[in-house]
Amino acid sequence: MSSNMIMLKSSDGASFEIEEAAARKSKIIANMIEVECVDEDKAIPLQNVTGNILALVIEYCNKHIVDDDDDVATEEASEEEEEAKKKKVDDWEAEFMNSMSLETMFELLLAANYLNIKSLIDLVCQTIANNIKDKTPEEVRKIFSIENDFTPEEEEEIRKENAWAFG
Amino acid sequence: MSSREKKRKKQSLNPSPSPSPSPESTPNSSLPDDLVVSCLARVPRLYHPNLSLVSKSFRSIITSPELYRIRTLLGRTENFLYVCLHFPDEANPRWFTLYRKPNHTTKKKKKESSCNLLAPVQILNSPPVELSGFIAIGSNIYAISPTIEDSPSSNVWFLDCLTHTWLEAPRMRLAQSNKFMYLAGSSEKPESLNCVQVYNTKTQTWKPVLSEKPIFKIGNLEGKIYMKSDKGFLAIKPKDLTKQVVELDTESGRESICMIENITYLYVPSGKFLWKNFNTNGAVLRRLEGLEGLPKFARYSTVKLVEHGGKLLVLWDKYVRASGQKEKMILCAEISLEKRNNEEIWGKVEWFDAVLTVPNPYKFVGAVAATV
Repeated sequence: MSSNMIMLKSSDGASFEIEEAAARKSKIIANMIEVECVDEDKAIPLQNVTGNILALVIEYCNKHIVDDDDDVATEEASEEEEEAKKKKVDDWEAEFMNSMSLETMFELLLAANYLNIKSLIDLVCQTIANNIKDKTPEEVRKIFSIENDFTPEEEEEIRKENAWAFG
Repeated sequence: MSSREKKRKKQSLNPSPSPSPSPESTPNSSLPDDLVVSCLARVPRLYHPNLSLVSKSFRSIITSPELYRIRTLLGRTENFLYVCLHFPDEANPRWFTLYRKPNHTTKKKKKESSCNLLAPVQILNSPPVELSGFIAIGSNIYAISPTIEDSPSSNVWFLDCLTHTWLEAPRMRLAQSNKFMYLAGSSEKPESLNCVQVYNTKTQTWKPVLSEKPIFKIGNLEGKIYMKSDKGFLAIKPKDLTKQVVELDTESGRESICMIENITYLYVPSGKFLWKNFNTNGAVLRRLEGLEGLPKFARYSTVKLVEHGGKLLVLWDKYVRASGQKEKMILCAEISLEKRNNEEIWGKVEWFDAVLTVPNPYKFVGAVAATV
């Protein structure tokens, strides 16, 4: 495996070195590499991602290059091994997501979206979904920083419509 | 971008402290709509009523076709039971959907407090046809009405479960779905099926039936649903299906029947659950084993069987004792099925609950599971 290293630079000026294979998890960066607009000596500026979030993105990508490379070699791997490996990744992902606040999750999701890393978008969306599903509307508003724009009458109407669910 | 800072080579696993740390209570980043939709699409439907109270934009996302499209892409659509009941002295039938309360979904029956219930569904309009049977195809529930059976050119109505609105399908004589179900719309003779039109529910267009399509002939095919099986098509008429397909001598037409993975399950008023596999030659009716914990139904009970995500849902009613026959309660059981060999299928009662109290007399129009 080639271990070409490339440099990424966050919006707040922090530089990170990352293996090309890991960086390619981002479709945006992969595209940049394809069209050869990556200068080996220069860092790729990522203006929408702060250093602390970029560190998380890189941690995720590093963890997942191994998995993807193994895809070729997995034909011989038994089902059990496959399952064990999947569980290991799942456990790692659970811990990874567990370690951060919702606020960080949102920023990570925005970064994953900007960098176009599909599996990371999926992971963060799922975690947010699990987090909000049994929260009260007020708590969810806080999380998404949105205002309650229902009039009390409208709110009452919706509650009435779904009275069975709120009983 | 001019860099004042020196390059810091760094691959630390510990994120550096944020330059402007923001407390959890005041998030400074809000998500664009498409990411909010992506998050909400992953929330199971039973939490949707609560989330629709968050804001107008949340409410419109939750009821949007876009959410359904993404749920379909993600494989997150869920099977939802819809029940249609006609109450006395009411012009239109009412609709209900089986709602399973969060956190109690796996618990067995608890006295007095159901964790599963039939929740009313608000449906804004009503089709101008008499409803007598339903087929669900994806998120649409197609109505089979006597009107369809009688007149070759009558229209087919379907309930769009995403918007809870009745819509009219184009004129038809026979309908086809992506699952190859047919709705007979006329007085066709079996041999004339080759020249009738089929309705593709995906493209919402009409096409003639291909002449080489095998048609499994069972009796007279008029006014029935045609189900594709490996051997051809089965003709099923909701009202007296058992007479023709299962060849069971019915005494009152109260049997209920449903098909799950090519196996037909039926309940007969003598209190038995039976099954038959139409793909096996010379298949006989066999008793569904197990069913431990399922109460015996009264002989007068209306019993309906519905497929629900590969499991069997059984709905039945009984009198509410204290009401002096003025009320009935509808009960529901979920039964998982285990095929032990070609001759044995065991049913395990996952839960059963009283799900709704209804005035008596009422008419149980039908029950069907749609994917939403």
